[in-house]
Amino acid sequence: MHLAGYPLSAVLGIFGAAAACTVVLYILRLRRRPVAVAFSPIWQRVLGARESSRLFSQLKRWLSLLLQLLLLALLALALGDPRLVARSSEARHLVVLLDGSASMLASDVPKGRLGAAKEAVAHLIAGLGPSDSMLIAQMDAGVTPLTTMTDDVAELGAALERVRATDTRTDLGRALAFALDATSGRSRPEIVVVSDGAFADEARRHAPALGNTTLTFLPIGKSGHNVAITGFSVRRYPLDRSRYEVMLEVLNTNDTPADVDLSLVGDGQVAETTRLSLGAGERRAQFYANLAGADRTLEATLSAAAGLDDLARDNHAYALMPERHRTRVLVVTAGNTYLEAALLLDEFLEVTYAAPDAPLPAGRFDVTILDGVTVPPEARLGGLLYLNQPAAGGPLELGRALEDFGFDRWDEKSPILRWTAPENVQVRSGHALVPQARDQVLGASEQGPILVSGRRNNQAFVALGFDPRQSDLVLRVTWPLFLLNTINYFVEEDTGYVSSFRTGDVWQIPVPGDARLAWLTEPDGTRSRLAVKEGKATHLGLRAGFYELTPDGEGHPPLRFAANLADADESRIAPQATLELGGTKAGEALGFEAHARYQIWGYLVLAVLLLSAVEWFTYHRRITV
Amino acid sequence: MFEALKRTLSRSRLRAARPTPERTRAGGKGALLFDDEFQRKLESLALVSRRVFAGRMRAERRSKKKGSGVEFADHRAYAPGDDFRFVDWNVYRRFGKLLVRLFEEEEDLSIYFIIDCSGSMAFGSPSKFDQARRLCAALAYVGLANLDRVTLVAAHENAGSVMPSTRGKNRIFKVFQYLNQLECSGVTDLGQSLKTFVAQHKRRGLALLISDLYDPHGFEAGINVLRYNKFEPYVLHMVEPSGGSLAQRAILGDINVYDCETGEEREVTVTERMLEQIVEAHREYDSAIQRFCTRSHVPYFAAPPDVPFDELVLRVLRRGGVLR
Repeated sequence: MHLAGYPLSAVLGIFGAAAACTVVLYILRLRRRPVAVAFSPIWQRVLGARESSRLFSQLKRWLSLLLQLLLLALLALALGDPRLVARSSEARHLVVLLDGSASMLASDVPKGRLGAAKEAVAHLIAGLGPSDSMLIAQMDAGVTPLTTMTDDVAELGAALERVRATDTRTDLGRALAFALDATSGRSRPEIVVVSDGAFADEARRHAPALGNTTLTFLPIGKSGHNVAITGFSVRRYPLDRSRYEVMLEVLNTNDTPADVDLSLVGDGQVAETTRLSLGAGERRAQFYANLAGADRTLEATLSAAAGLDDLARDNHAYALMPERHRTRVLVVTAGNTYLEAALLLDEFLEVTYAAPDAPLPAGRFDVTILDGVTVPPEARLGGLLYLNQPAAGGPLELGRALEDFGFDRWDEKSPILRWTAPENVQVRSGHALVPQARDQVLGASEQGPILVSGRRNNQAFVALGFDPRQSDLVLRVTWPLFLLNTINYFVEEDTGYVSSFRTGDVWQIPVPGDARLAWLTEPDGTRSRLAVKEGKATHLGLRAGFYELTPDGEGHPPLRFAANLADADESRIAPQATLELGGTKAGEALGFEAHARYQIWGYLVLAVLLLSAVEWFTYHRRITV
Repeated sequence: MFEALKRTLSRSRLRAARPTPERTRAGGKGALLFDDEFQRKLESLALVSRRVFAGRMRAERRSKKKGSGVEFADHRAYAPGDDFRFVDWNVYRRFGKLLVRLFEEEEDLSIYFIIDCSGSMAFGSPSKFDQARRLCAALAYVGLANLDRVTLVAAHENAGSVMPSTRGKNRIFKVFQYLNQLECSGVTDLGQSLKTFVAQHKRRGLALLISDLYDPHGFEAGINVLRYNKFEPYVLHMVEPSGGSLAQRAILGDINVYDCETGEEREVTVTERMLEQIVEAHREYDSAIQRFCTRSHVPYFAAPPDVPFDELVLRVLRRGGVLR
């Protein structure tokens, strides 16, 4: 027996003080109730005969005092929180990492893997020792602690009920790092991983060193049958944006071949249905070219025969295509056949031509192309594309004159140069451009920048440092692609639009306009507020499906996008019986005995209540008085 | 026949003076009220005296005197001057002696109501003192109705107040008034009180002692004073129900017992068993009084306050021979 609460000295002190007060109160003379009698000699006669019983009365008084002291002793002992030696070993500090990734949604066990995992953790909670503490954290793409390090069983149980699986992979390394931090400096640290063990090899390799922390693994699940969509991408054709092509990747994790039905649904209408025969463990990419009919949403659905697919969550993939609308383009040129021809390629362009010395036409434009000329910048002109920017009136200063040069460096990730091959372009003459701070150099020769983008007075521009007609650019496919990419860049209509985000990643969502806040509506209807910084909202995506982002303020239509799990490692749901990290093999859960949490102080308080009840009963029933 | 005629006349004369309820209410507290029916019943009663006492005035009681009564008492030799109407001519014819018939003189009887006014009489609920006053009033009315000489004595610590002797039914209001102004206080000392009483009242008669007999000096002393001074004592013992109604009061536990007369205190822890012993001691005390009275040939009547006093008067006392 030892005291887990107040130390023995404090318990004795409390008892001593309380006992002294009680004794003093007992020493004080009892104020007796006065009762008048008609003839006291009769009482004297009886009391004289009972003189010897006074001793018993005194004894009863002392017995009452002893009873009070006994109650005080029990209460003081309860404050000390006595524990049996057998159960009083050093307190354990456990961090339970409960896997909440997509694979835990598999239904290969009754109630699903997540349900089984919750039950396993509930057994752990019930088997906690009286000194043990536990912290429960959900482990998926991130780590979400659901409790503090506590011994409150009710709090732990409530936290367990809040666990919901997400459509993400498991970041085991991050979860272990968190668990190590949480148990740092605590006695008997132990990390309990409750999972199906379907971790990527990379996660296992990057697991942090556990040191003296005990690692325990509770395996969940019994089979790993699954077919999944592990990749889904859609894009419009750059030169015919009414049509699109789709790339799908499907995976069969079964040991046997599987026939799967693959459906493509565009804007709610079935666009394509295919039956695929996948070999055991086969991962196949499937292309659907030249599709039409869908203008906005695309959803791919996979179905397989019963018994071959225990995880339904990865059977769906979502994509959104950029919305089409007519773009108004103003071309200020003295005449450029190559330019006019390239602009004819996109039927969604509404082109207006103006001579350099003529007044600009009225109205608003999305893009203005200035072919060797400059105009005073106006907001109604939209984005400005300068071809062979003159020395005066343009957004950039001209550098030195260049001869026989080309694109030696260029930004491959820039949407303006997507699908182009500028390395073969030969230019006879032009000028280097002098970018200002925050301007972005998209292409440069060895002698200086020749393609720069940036903003002036909140108006975007792209400037080319040479006349395309002084090069072979206009003879290449790169020329119309460059023009159309630039126009799309200005109107934020990107043919290479990221059709979907990946769950489990931190998304940088571009927000149109200059809103500081945006409201994100998740696939399940949940709304959350996101801060917008530098035109982008940041969000850790946990659910697959269609999202809608509404910038705060008026004038900006909501932005829609899709998110997919698309993770082959997460779709391999075969449960692992053991867990080995960095050469350390996780052990089994030991030392979780049911009812080990009983604490003696509760019984002591119960005894006090019982004794008080007995005293109350005997007093009020006149048994002891 | 003469006697019956006289009694009838007497009743018709006194009926006018019968206390109506209204008059009774006017004369005292409600506790002393009795209704017409009860009064009629009282008028038919008389207090019984086993001894013959000398009276002062003519009334309806036998006396030792020879006089003008209707009951034949004796003969004596004729002496000159005797009334010829009392010469017994039948004796003269048979024996040739001239004898005169003597008759018993009918006189009144002195009845003393000695009511204990010590503090203990106010004890109990209903109060013993109230019951005692009701009984005293009823019996006084009986005495007054029979033309007896009624005297009320309030026994206090040493002496007591006295309502002077009175006769006649119409004096009942005086009795009420006297009883109403009595109050309980002080310590019981019947021996001393009654010594004072006998010293003040030379004419012997019935002495009804109405008391709870809670006398620290012993209940025998007072009764013996009456006995030894040739009074005919009756004891109306105002007992407490169930030994002082202790059981009715929750006095279990640690209490401070004090005597309501002497103020004497004693700390005691009362248990159920002790309470039973106290009740038993009360019972034993009452039995001792009864045994003493029986041994001393003193009529004894227990009068619990919870028994209606009209039942006490009309049944208990009548059955016990106090009334006829």
